[in-house]
Amino acid sequence: MDFSVINDNIEFLMLGLMRSFQLAFFTIILSLIIACFIAIGRVSSRRSIRYPSAIFVNLLRSNPLILIVFWFFFLVPLITGKTLPEFHTVLIAFVVFFAAYFAEIVRSGIQSVGSSQVKAALSTGLTYSQSMRLIVLPQALRNMLPALVTECVIVFQGTTIAYVIGMREFLHSTSLVAERTVRPVELYLFAAFVYLVICFAGTRLALFLEKK
Amino acid sequence: MTLPLVQINNLSLRYGDFVALDDVSIDFMPGTCVVICGPSGSGKSSLLRCVNRLENFDKGDVIFDGQSLKAAQNISKIRSNIGMVFQHFELYPHLSVMNNITLAPRYVNGVNRDEAEAKAHKLLERVGILDQAKKYPNELSGGQQQRAAIARALALEPKLMLFDEPTSALDPEMISEVLQVMRDLARNGMTMLVVTHEMGFARDVADEVVFMDKGKVIERNESGGFFDNPQSDRAKEFIDRVLQKI
Repeated sequence: MDFSVINDNIEFLMLGLMRSFQLAFFTIILSLIIACFIAIGRVSSRRSIRYPSAIFVNLLRSNPLILIVFWFFFLVPLITGKTLPEFHTVLIAFVVFFAAYFAEIVRSGIQSVGSSQVKAALSTGLTYSQSMRLIVLPQALRNMLPALVTECVIVFQGTTIAYVIGMREFLHSTSLVAERTVRPVELYLFAAFVYLVICFAGTRLALFLEKK
Repeated sequence: MTLPLVQINNLSLRYGDFVALDDVSIDFMPGTCVVICGPSGSGKSSLLRCVNRLENFDKGDVIFDGQSLKAAQNISKIRSNIGMVFQHFELYPHLSVMNNITLAPRYVNGVNRDEAEAKAHKLLERVGILDQAKKYPNELSGGQQQRAAIARALALEPKLMLFDEPTSALDPEMISEVLQVMRDLARNGMTMLVVTHEMGFARDVADEVVFMDKGKVIERNESGGFFDNPQSDRAKEFIDRVLQKI
């Protein structure tokens, strides 16, 4: 075992880790925004809104993430005739995929608030969308925070999938160094350690928020 | 001649097979305080919720201040003229009492924050909980919460106030502080529809009492007459039962 190999390549590895963080960060922000709209659609009284939202969620949740990535990587360029940079391709696929998961979390959060709060808000003359934005979503967010943090951890772990289309996220960077230096044990131990620290911290945070 | 503030015409409402309101027609004049009573399931709360269309009725119409609710495109605007107080207060738990009250004036009427807070200040003073303004609803007693909810409903200067069993969820010792606020409102000429089991309030404060059963209005009388000389057997029975309880 010679862990100096990590120190020698730390800059390259950290670049990969930053890429993973970026992907996770933008995925979480964008998919959460979309998820809010889909979740509101899921609880809508109108079928024309409720059904498409339900179809979106169920379709995406019944497919593996890797397949969604393939979809956007192979098929979308075929259809549109344009190719996007890897990062954008993966980001779009991730946002679509995780929006479905976040939507279910947001939906249960919304349903935890209860319709009488909406009635109270409506009775004061707020519109339905104002009631959602000002009354329901802030409370829902608080209730669903632990589940959201847990899902964020899953998003971070999911960034490794970007490996398959050659994006240099953390795991890919690690494997490149491992191949070049022929030190796979040290490098994959290091990668495991980094993922463990980050994800464990996230899980603890979720537990802490749950108890609060 | 004064026109009614609320006109309910042939209103019907069903929940599945259950008939909540069965062809109800009744008017309410401005400046009057009317208590609606009746056994549970008689449709009194449903009737109240139809008056601001929180409940979508199946048949008939409600005319509020000359506007048909059924046809209304701007239902939010109409609702802002109708304050509502709920059995379980329904204050927004994530906002302070002050923000609970200023929210609708700011977002519905576009009043700026300072002006809305000045107004809320006066309302909190009026309901006697000015010292609680910065607290959150869960830090208040039930009676204080309900008074805050009344202040919230008054913040838009409504023409009509609806009270849906405002004291039913309160501990007995807190009922009177809420009723006192309602009594003051009635004295100041607020038009009020009150669903309540507080027969003392009905007798002393209300101008009229409406008795409902099985989705129909059975009897309507001035409050003194209702208690001393009920016309229908069902009302008689109801009064006996309610008064016996005390």
